[in-house]
Amino acid sequence: MSAVVDNHGHAAHDEHGGGYHGGIMRWITTTNHKDIGTLYLWFSFIMFLMGGVMALVIRTELFSPGLQWVNPDFFNQMTTMHGLIMVFGAIMPAFVGFANWQIPLMIGAPDMAFARMNNWSFWILPFAGSLLILSFFVPGGAPGVGWTMYAPLTVQMGMGMDLTIFAVHLLGMSSIMGSINIITTILNMRAPGMTLMRMPLFVWTWLITAYLLVAAMPVLAGAVTMTLTDRHFGTTFFNAAGGGDPVLYQHIFWFFGHPEVYIIALPAFGVVSQVIPAFSRKPLFGYASMVYATSAIAILSFIVWAHHMYTVGMPVTAQLFFMYATTIIAVPTGVKVFNWVATMWKGSLTFETPMLFAIGFLFLFTLGGFTGLVLSLVAVDVQLHDTYYVVAHFHYVMVAGALFSAFAGVYFWLPKWTGRMYDETLGKIHFWLTMIFFNMIFFVQHFLGLAGMPRRIPDYPLMFETWNKISSIGAWGFGLSQVFFLYIVLKAIRSGEKAPEKPWEGADSLEWTHLPTPVPHHTWETPPVLK
Amino acid sequence: MSRNVKTALVLVSIALTTFFGIIAKYWMLNQ
Repeated sequence: MSAVVDNHGHAAHDEHGGGYHGGIMRWITTTNHKDIGTLYLWFSFIMFLMGGVMALVIRTELFSPGLQWVNPDFFNQMTTMHGLIMVFGAIMPAFVGFANWQIPLMIGAPDMAFARMNNWSFWILPFAGSLLILSFFVPGGAPGVGWTMYAPLTVQMGMGMDLTIFAVHLLGMSSIMGSINIITTILNMRAPGMTLMRMPLFVWTWLITAYLLVAAMPVLAGAVTMTLTDRHFGTTFFNAAGGGDPVLYQHIFWFFGHPEVYIIALPAFGVVSQVIPAFSRKPLFGYASMVYATSAIAILSFIVWAHHMYTVGMPVTAQLFFMYATTIIAVPTGVKVFNWVATMWKGSLTFETPMLFAIGFLFLFTLGGFTGLVLSLVAVDVQLHDTYYVVAHFHYVMVAGALFSAFAGVYFWLPKWTGRMYDETLGKIHFWLTMIFFNMIFFVQHFLGLAGMPRRIPDYPLMFETWNKISSIGAWGFGLSQVFFLYIVLKAIRSGEKAPEKPWEGADSLEWTHLPTPVPHHTWETPPVLK
Repeated sequence: MSRNVKTALVLVSIALTTFFGIIAKYWMLNQ
């Protein structure tokens, strides 16, 4: 059992944003985990809108065959920046925002272990985001290399590539510092009685995710640093002419890239694991197996990377190894899906907006996982590699998985954070609009991929037109639905009904059972003692 | 040194070793 170690002292706590600064300085200097969580969430939403606009440029160009609106080079820049901004600027910071808000509340800690480093972790992000955007305005424009930044293309790009590399460095530093904070907080600052196996599953998923980040992000940083030295300092890590190997970059990138998928997915699992029991009014089914399944997924994520690159040419034995290892991930993932369904089984279910998004997640993420299994098969992947089937697959994982879960989390915890209820009717409308338009965009992309439409192209043959039109109309609907989400949140904050002390009857973690609504600026200065 | 700082130092050392290790490995292989 771990005890709370409070090294800040009471006087230091008064500095956590509530005492001495008002206005903008409160947000710049804050060391309060709730303020920093809020900053992360708003930053991620702004980046989500920016990445979304880029997605709309892509989908608008693809509305009809032929080149209509943008030239191919700019189209490539859009696909690259859309991916980088959504992965590193939107989804990851969103879940770090949830972690900042929720982990100390859920384990009975007064704040994050390193409150000042927490401030630094966040405030690196706007600079990194600015570098990414700035790359559009330098000679040559933003890099058009895809979010995977494959060599040797990266070696040939203009100055925008350097800005992107520095941005990735900064984003990586932020993630690593955030992870160190999360691991230290969870391991050392739990309230008396909050044993590891009593922690809410959201905390568990973040503990495991933070370890993944510490292990995986330096690998990405190494890969882009080697790219940088290849570009400017005469090394030839990835240049075949100098004895290097472009395929080596792909191996290193995906050694980071596949754990990255779970870095995004595991906190999403954590949110859903809080929401489904609350609206089923039952404890989570198979808690221990959920913890072990999450750990198993994290470990397996490090031995499957080459399933992203079956077509580069590798021995059949290697292909078989990566295929079998990938299919094995379906087992712990299946355990989790089974447990969520079993939690709902014979529960006293109600379908408020957080639960709708959690169930939407369950259906669509499972479909994304299933198409992942299809792609894990070497013989199939050789046909589908770099087609829209892959685009559809990973958007089911990233959007229907991570984004739906993030929406579930915002609707679930917004009353606790703000003391205000969102409009339930509007929330449900947001869910259904998101659900319908999401499938309109991406379900049809499976058909496009199966028919052979390659990804990352601005033009296509006439035979693909109908599905592309449906997909593009869905994209505009989806984008507008998220502006509607912003309206719902702002309406709740400004004029929402006062939230009851415990708006969700079945919620049973510490923030619901031991803290008032809205949660005060400083919490757990005296840790709770759990029997 | 507090327990928090010890935990952080262990994690930082893992991250830095991985970062420099991967560059050093392929730099030496390329020589």
